[in-house]
Amino acid sequence: MSAGTESQSLESATTSIESQPDQKTRRYDRQLRLWAKSGQAALESAHLLVLSSSSTSTSILKNLVLPGVGQFTLLDRTITSPSDAGNNFFLEGLDSVGKPRAEEAVRLLLELNDGVKGHSIVEKDIQQVLSSEGESGVEWVKGFSLIIAHNLEKNALDQLSDLLWADFKSPPLVIIRSAGFLAEVFIQFHEHAIIDSHIDSTPSLRIDKPFPALLERSLAIDFENLDVTDHGHVPYVFILVRVLEEWKKSHDGNPPSTAAEKKEFKSLILNMRKKSDEENFEEAESQAYKCWTSTVVPSDIKSLFASSASSSNTPPHTKPFHILVKALEVYTSTVPPNTLPLSSTLPDMKASTKEYVEIQRLYKDRSVEEKNTFKGILANVIKEQGEDPNLIDDETIDSFVKNSHVLRLLSGKKWGWVDEDKAALTERAQTSSKQLGIHLALSALSSLHAKHAQAQATKQSQEGQNADFTPSLEELTAEAKAILPDGVELPEEDFDNAIGEAARSPTADLPNTAALLGGVVAQEVIKMITKQYVPIDGYCTIDLVETWTGVL
Amino acid sequence: MAAAASSSDWPGRYHHIDQILDKPGPRTDPGFLAGDGVKDFLRGQAKILVIGAGGLGCEILANLALTGFKDIHVIDMDTIDISNLNRQFLFRQKDVGKPKATVAAEFIMKRVPGVTVTPYFGKIQDKDEEYYMQFNLVICGLDSVEARRWINATLVNMVDPEVPESLKPLIDGGTEGFKGQARVILPGITSCYECSLDMLNKQTQFPICTIANTPRLPEHCIEWASVLEWPRVFADKKLDNDDPDDIDWLYKTALNRAREFKIEGVTWSLTQGVVKNIIPAIASTNAIIAAACCNEAFKIATSSAAFLNNYFMLIGTDGVYSYTFEHEKRQECPVCGGEALDLAISPELTLEQLIETLTERQDIQIKKPSLSTPTKQLYLQAPPQLEQATRPNLEKKVSELVPPSGEVTVTASTLPFSLSLRIAYTS
Ligand SMILES: [Zn+2]
Repeated sequence: MSAGTESQSLESATTSIESQPDQKTRRYDRQLRLWAKSGQAALESAHLLVLSSSSTSTSILKNLVLPGVGQFTLLDRTITSPSDAGNNFFLEGLDSVGKPRAEEAVRLLLELNDGVKGHSIVEKDIQQVLSSEGESGVEWVKGFSLIIAHNLEKNALDQLSDLLWADFKSPPLVIIRSAGFLAEVFIQFHEHAIIDSHIDSTPSLRIDKPFPALLERSLAIDFENLDVTDHGHVPYVFILVRVLEEWKKSHDGNPPSTAAEKKEFKSLILNMRKKSDEENFEEAESQAYKCWTSTVVPSDIKSLFASSASSSNTPPHTKPFHILVKALEVYTSTVPPNTLPLSSTLPDMKASTKEYVEIQRLYKDRSVEEKNTFKGILANVIKEQGEDPNLIDDETIDSFVKNSHVLRLLSGKKWGWVDEDKAALTERAQTSSKQLGIHLALSALSSLHAKHAQAQATKQSQEGQNADFTPSLEELTAEAKAILPDGVELPEEDFDNAIGEAARSPTADLPNTAALLGGVVAQEVIKMITKQYVPIDGYCTIDLVETWTGVL
Repeated sequence: MAAAASSSDWPGRYHHIDQILDKPGPRTDPGFLAGDGVKDFLRGQAKILVIGAGGLGCEILANLALTGFKDIHVIDMDTIDISNLNRQFLFRQKDVGKPKATVAAEFIMKRVPGVTVTPYFGKIQDKDEEYYMQFNLVICGLDSVEARRWINATLVNMVDPEVPESLKPLIDGGTEGFKGQARVILPGITSCYECSLDMLNKQTQFPICTIANTPRLPEHCIEWASVLEWPRVFADKKLDNDDPDDIDWLYKTALNRAREFKIEGVTWSLTQGVVKNIIPAIASTNAIIAAACCNEAFKIATSSAAFLNNYFMLIGTDGVYSYTFEHEKRQECPVCGGEALDLAISPELTLEQLIETLTERQDIQIKKPSLSTPTKQLYLQAPPQLEQATRPNLEKKVSELVPPSGEVTVTASTLPFSLSLRIAYTS
């Protein structure tokens, strides 16, 4: 694209005057500033399945209904008990007791946002859906955008996670377990690709590898004869490119490398000042490190090339990402100077308006050129792989190029993987003993609860099964130790602290713990659905006695 | 109170919380009174104050009510705006324009039977020490630094070592986007809000000369419209940030300037964001921080488990990263430290320049300060006669007014404390 058409787009961008924002934009203003219209659209087209209407589950849903998730379905047969009415904000005290809990919760949650649809299914539970309905039940579950399971009974959870893991096209499953002050959160997914990661990292200005127009412009400045005002307004990027170029001439083409050279380089910059208070030269001095920080492909992106190439069973939703990454790898290895495509965004710098607009234009034009080269390579990759030429739209390509220094690809793990992996358990017992303590305590609770429930199978309500579930410290200790490989032990204090809390409050869904989980899980769900920001990778364990979170 | 509270407590109501209150855990203080003693205190006697009924406040009120606090007071000076509805879940469209404190209190009382929430629609500065003395605990969910400094200093000042009940634990929360922090302040004992002032993000301030002469960013054009153009065009009409028509005028004015200078990116949303200094806010982050605050309140009120010592921060942008640490008390903290702050300045520095330093330094941040020494007034912002009388000092060198190692006391009308400086001169 030539400079001419670019300035046309400037024209059209600034001539269209926006009118005042509509009701919906005003309502969502504070969140649109985080995930923009694209994130909001993703959220609004999502349909969540939630497998309980506990206090924790309704807390999670509250934080998703408020920002405007499209739909949710609560699957729960529980009849509201007096204790539910005491700890769940989305029940109406004694008025809700005796009524289906999910129905009450859906009604009260929907009061938060007219734009959200909510459904309750109260005549069956997930185990019945998966077991009695067979394939159609499984397909129904897979049709949701994401599934949330809080304190789901162990057998049902294992069955669900197995079924979802068996198909790489399955939606993510968010698993939450909590008791009293302890909790853990895990997301089971096969692969999660993030273009707009919002990772705080500035792209290179390529001062050490200037593109032709930048070099030419920097060399053309006649510093000697500039008048004082203009001299104090030359952007630091031009100053650095110029000084570096001259330095290299007298140093075999190398940038400053020793501390003494770097000091000398900085004084060269400061000696160029005509007046002692020229801020642009001070800025150039403070940014001088950019001259000896070589612009290369960041190591995170290099390892992304490797992991993307080795990924098998790519689910349809990450396919375009892999193709884009492949094209980026080709781009960085074949197009000089073997860096990521140039970013068009320039930080603010001391300069006159005219100079700043000009340097902005130089960067913009060059970035458009490089993006076009990238698009050419991408078209080839798509062709080679026999994919649809329209597979990836321009908006996605723009965003990909813009974020090429902060891309992320997460390969998920199956729920329960750590319990099966002896090496990982042995290592975590030393490096993350507190986190592992919580995981073991919650695992012990859930397997003992499953045994207890089986023994009490005649009782209908979950309430009845919960009320007399009071495992002893000894039972919990034995159950937790059984998960660890032979000879592996946790520091006694970390183990006892976790097991002791679990024994104290085996079935407590505390309002504050529920509220905190409501926030943590909703953040993760938003990240998974919008494909913006980076979700947790592993088990996030939470201790609300000492108030910390830690990933296992 | 106790009798009224218990009559609404149906059997099983506190099944979940009672698992914690009926027996200690491995990390519970031996002084914990498991059973009826602690339940009676929590449900019958504890009186808690919530400052702010906004994003954090709504969450805090709901959590406290479910946890079993029955006597809750809430202060907020704001009314409900449509942009609150994406997170302040006690409010509905029909409530827009009504006081937050009142609507929030009514909602909680309707939803959680037996809880009394007493609202006050106004400023925290309207209330005196006697008022604050009635509470066992204070939780703050504010977005204003000024208000937090005020309540922090007020609670620190209230501590009387002879009267243990005069120490009111202050739990403070704050959020921005996916990030937030919660902390416990034991006034006079732990690090206080003022001790950590330098941890605040510095607000971007564009130099006036950039705004006036060399705009480069869309933000520069917007600042030009609001700071320079508005007062010029509407000499006697104050800009109302909440009036969409005013924002609209700024937007169009900024857009015209941007076009003139070929600057891209002025939008309605950016204009509003810059002018109102909008901080992104979402329900989920507020939920995390409010829950952390209320959990500390619960643990402090019941002694059922150790409480936070003393700072918890969480960042949810890249995984869930959190950091729990003990923030250290600052010996020269003007609120809780007692020691004078040593300040080395050039003997050439004028009083006016010293004042500018005090305004800008991240650990001081005192706007419109008045300065005096033990023997004379250096500069007073008010009343007008004294301002006029001390104004000539502004141009004088500090070294002419204050001897080496001399003490200067700095006060500001918005802050209920004074800062002592010990001045040294660099040679
Ligand atoms: Zn302090």
